[in-house]
Amino acid sequence: MTGPVRIADLGGARAIILHRPHVVVAALTRQLQAVGLRVDAVWPELPAEALAADFIFFDADMGFDEQFPWDRGAAPMPLIALIGSEAPGRVEWALATGANAQILKPVGDSGVYSALLIARHGFEARQALAAEAADLRRRLGERQTVVRAVIQLIDTTGSEEAAYAALRAMAMEARIGLEEAAARVLSRGPVPSPRTKGGAA
Amino acid sequence: MRRTVALGLLYSRSGAYARIGAACRAGALNAIAQINADPVRSITLAPVERDPEGNIDRYAPLCEEILRDTPARHIVGCVTSWSRKEVIPTLEKGGGTLWYAVPYEGFEASDHVVYLHSCPNQHLLPLLDWTFPTFGRRGYLTGSNYIWGWEMNRLARDRIHAAGGTVLGERYLPLGSVDVARMIEEVRATAPDFILNSLIGPSSYAFLRAYAALGESDARFRADRCPVLSCNLTECELPDIGPAADGLIAAGPYFCANGDAFGSSHEAAANHAVHTLADLLEDAPDSATTNIASLLDTPTGHRSGIDAKTHHTAQRVLIAQVKDGAFAMRYDGGLRAGDPYLTGPADTSPRTALRVVS
Repeated sequence: MTGPVRIADLGGARAIILHRPHVVVAALTRQLQAVGLRVDAVWPELPAEALAADFIFFDADMGFDEQFPWDRGAAPMPLIALIGSEAPGRVEWALATGANAQILKPVGDSGVYSALLIARHGFEARQALAAEAADLRRRLGERQTVVRAVIQLIDTTGSEEAAYAALRAMAMEARIGLEEAAARVLSRGPVPSPRTKGGAA
Repeated sequence: MRRTVALGLLYSRSGAYARIGAACRAGALNAIAQINADPVRSITLAPVERDPEGNIDRYAPLCEEILRDTPARHIVGCVTSWSRKEVIPTLEKGGGTLWYAVPYEGFEASDHVVYLHSCPNQHLLPLLDWTFPTFGRRGYLTGSNYIWGWEMNRLARDRIHAAGGTVLGERYLPLGSVDVARMIEEVRATAPDFILNSLIGPSSYAFLRAYAALGESDARFRADRCPVLSCNLTECELPDIGPAADGLIAAGPYFCANGDAFGSSHEAAANHAVHTLADLLEDAPDSATTNIASLLDTPTGHRSGIDAKTHHTAQRVLIAQVKDGAFAMRYDGGLRAGDPYLTGPADTSPRTALRVVS
């Protein structure tokens, strides 16, 4: 996730500010509306429609886990922490909640636009990495399948190397992963090998 | 009984961009004289002037001086984006408002600034959209080495790539530098379809002169084949450049025709700033302390044309080309609302072709 930062799609996006009525909310709302977002402020609980929000700004000073209708750290959108007290405990809580960026209180004339871009960038990077990790974990779990398929293919190809090459060729030809190709080999069962045919039987 | 209201002026009268400062200052002073001579007005404006002399580090202290030592809460001033960004924290602290009358690169909507000239959806983007079918999509980008040049070229790069074009080179010069030889060599080597010039002051003049000389020896580099584009060049700098400006294509909200009241869009915008401010102050008896947000939240404020959310203004999209020392109109794209973050509907809807006026 390097390269140019994505600035598109902020116009008409929905932001929710999870903060008690305060001058901070007015300053954030002004900045967000100037950028072109639709803004709602709520406290103390996020309503159901928060699930459809594009960004959530949350109070790191008074916030608590039960405010969020999803598992801790599993927010489906970028989160921005509003930090007044820089006490390590509150920073830790903001991080565990899944903050992708932060804005320090009091909120003045600027800071929101860069926080939006940084939060979205970090959120998307985190999503992409999580998806990649899940895929790698899945493939790791399929190691056994690949080993068994290679062993089975040795019978027809003659060597471990050739068996592996055959498996890769099948995967490439069918445009599927090695693991899926291995599963297909196993599901169709062992093919009688020429050696077996020409054997003692 | 007329009230006297102090009005700050913060323009550099010397340095790399003194010409633009002088044009803005003339427009503002002219407006002050008109208002003070107007018997219908209930206010008299008293200018409080400070001159940063083109020194970036003097803007914030002088802005603070105006807000601290005088009753002025509104300041007309600043030319470079760098200087504007320098004074914003001071304005925030002192409750002041800057009336900013020159084009800029967008991506700002300070509660303490009113933006009275064009931003990219009103200058750069329509200029590129017009240039692509007319000259091509292979561009060379230049700029002075600060936020204006960087951000203009970033936007241009995005727009060029989105249109399937190519950026053949991108090079910057420090403010005031006239070392343009390398840029000219790169332009000669890459032969682009157009050059976007976001240089300012002497750097820009040196580049335009060297490019005109290149065009004399090689027809590929004349305005009919590869023009220089600008979003900040106006009539106020043409005398400094001389014949080398011929063929330059500029975007702006105003170009001077015979008999027009203002010599340049800078002068027009600064003049308009002071008149608009005077209208707002007329209706606000406690004008010394009333902030810009409350001034805009009045019937006069709603009529002012200043968007309450972004503090930007609608500007006309004009494209003109220098011919014999003056701008000749090429296209008129009409009025366009300011969209500093490019999040408005104007940028996402299909672009309609600009209307030919000549």
